[in-house]
Amino acid sequence: MIELTNVSYAYAGIDALKDVSLRIEKGEAVALMGANGSGKSTLLKIINGIVSPDSGAYRFNNEEITPKKLKDTKFAKLFHQKIGFVFQNSDTQLFCTNVYDEIAFGPRQMGMDEADVEQRVNDCLSLLNIQDFKSRQPYHLSGGEKRKVAIASVLALNPEVLVLDEPMNGLDPRTQRWLVEFLIMLNKAGKTILTSTHNLELVQEISQRAVLFGEDHSIAADMATTKLLTETDLLKKVNLVDEYYHRHDGDQHVHFHLHNY
Amino acid sequence: MPEWLLKDESYIPESDKDTFINKSILSLLGLLARIRTQGCDKTDKYFVHAALKVAFTFLLILLLSISRNFTFIVISMVYLLVILSLMRGKEILHILKVSSAMALFTFIVLLPSAFWGNGYSIVTITSKVLATIIAVNILSHSAKWNSITSALKVFHVPDIFIFVLDITIKYIAMLGEFSLYMLYALKLRSVGKNHNKYAALSGIAGTLFIKSKEMAEEMHAAMECRGFTGEYSVHNRFKFTAADFIYILINAGLLTIFVYLERI
Repeated sequence: MIELTNVSYAYAGIDALKDVSLRIEKGEAVALMGANGSGKSTLLKIINGIVSPDSGAYRFNNEEITPKKLKDTKFAKLFHQKIGFVFQNSDTQLFCTNVYDEIAFGPRQMGMDEADVEQRVNDCLSLLNIQDFKSRQPYHLSGGEKRKVAIASVLALNPEVLVLDEPMNGLDPRTQRWLVEFLIMLNKAGKTILTSTHNLELVQEISQRAVLFGEDHSIAADMATTKLLTETDLLKKVNLVDEYYHRHDGDQHVHFHLHNY
Repeated sequence: MPEWLLKDESYIPESDKDTFINKSILSLLGLLARIRTQGCDKTDKYFVHAALKVAFTFLLILLLSISRNFTFIVISMVYLLVILSLMRGKEILHILKVSSAMALFTFIVLLPSAFWGNGYSIVTITSKVLATIIAVNILSHSAKWNSITSALKVFHVPDIFIFVLDITIKYIAMLGEFSLYMLYALKLRSVGKNHNKYAALSGIAGTLFIKSKEMAEEMHAAMECRGFTGEYSVHNRFKFTAADFIYILINAGLLTIFVYLERI
């Protein structure tokens, strides 16, 4: 479904991604992990066609995505409908005057009649349990509520792949838990989920596979999430855990302590 | 889970033009790239203090505007082109592009006066505009913006004015990045025919306005928490170097040439 071959990208001569090769199949739930500045967000931008790789190739559904192809508006629109991107900062994603219009923006663009748009918006509102915000202005909502509206606005396009950049950032524990369960539900419904995160506590719940980025902006590991979480030395090397990281093994009770002091 | 979400979307988009969003994204990217390169790419070039660059650029512009002698304009142009030739190719190209466009515009505006026998004025004014814009662009490309603003301290510009300039540059970068991401979001969700593209832009502008208001309020609160009571002091240490001395000599030479030529 998503295939990157030897992809590299640099911002003004500074490497952001180095020789990244990755293949993601339909229906997978994959987590991109890595320290700040390791290249996760850049990779998500490439996957969503916001930037194009300096070298290497990116293929989506067996079709190479190139700047030239993205200039063809018909192709670009279909491509963007198939991949939904939830930005790290929800504020940047919400630009309509109320929540209803925000969610309806995509379906209206797709030329659906207003009755279908209303049905789809109401489905999204109830799916994310935000019916009460329907008429409110997005910028008056709390961080968690904005995130839900941002997800709803992308989900309304019914994308095949849902890409989320650090979705847990700035959310309270209850909203984080809700989001984890929501992503699991979407994945079970057949959606491909690609999440960038450095939240080690929730990553194994939202993904079966983890791709770990090193500080050299290349892939340091690509394996099952549960296995990756046992690779303490590797996690330490890529600056995802500090030296006080330890794990309690137990039949029922496996958890992590992240000590920052 | 609604049924439509469980099925693949069978959607064929209509073709629509995205030039407006793409152009906005490109222009914002260009602006942000310039601000970013100001921060990391550029050590103040030629090792001349920014205060001297500001002072002599201002002086040169003043001399150019009051000069009645075409030879002085030519000498100034040669001087500016020599400085320009020391810069990087990309910068030279950018400066020449901007300056030529402005000079051409001036030339076209003044062209009708040629029919009344003012041919000489057209050449002089166009050359002056060209030289002035090259001088300002050289200053902007060869000195960091923050060092230019703090150099204003030397000229006894009020600290609060310098502070406002600094914060303005910072906020252009931050809000520019914010609006860039909003345009990305608009582009990614523009999956069909949008009959009312400018309505989406007004949404972006509105959100940007609210965001800037929030950021301003937060910054004011943060400054108050750190003891800000309305007075802000800018510290600027001026260390005189050999490069500064040479730069002063060259500009003093230009000033002498100006006085000499104007007296003839």
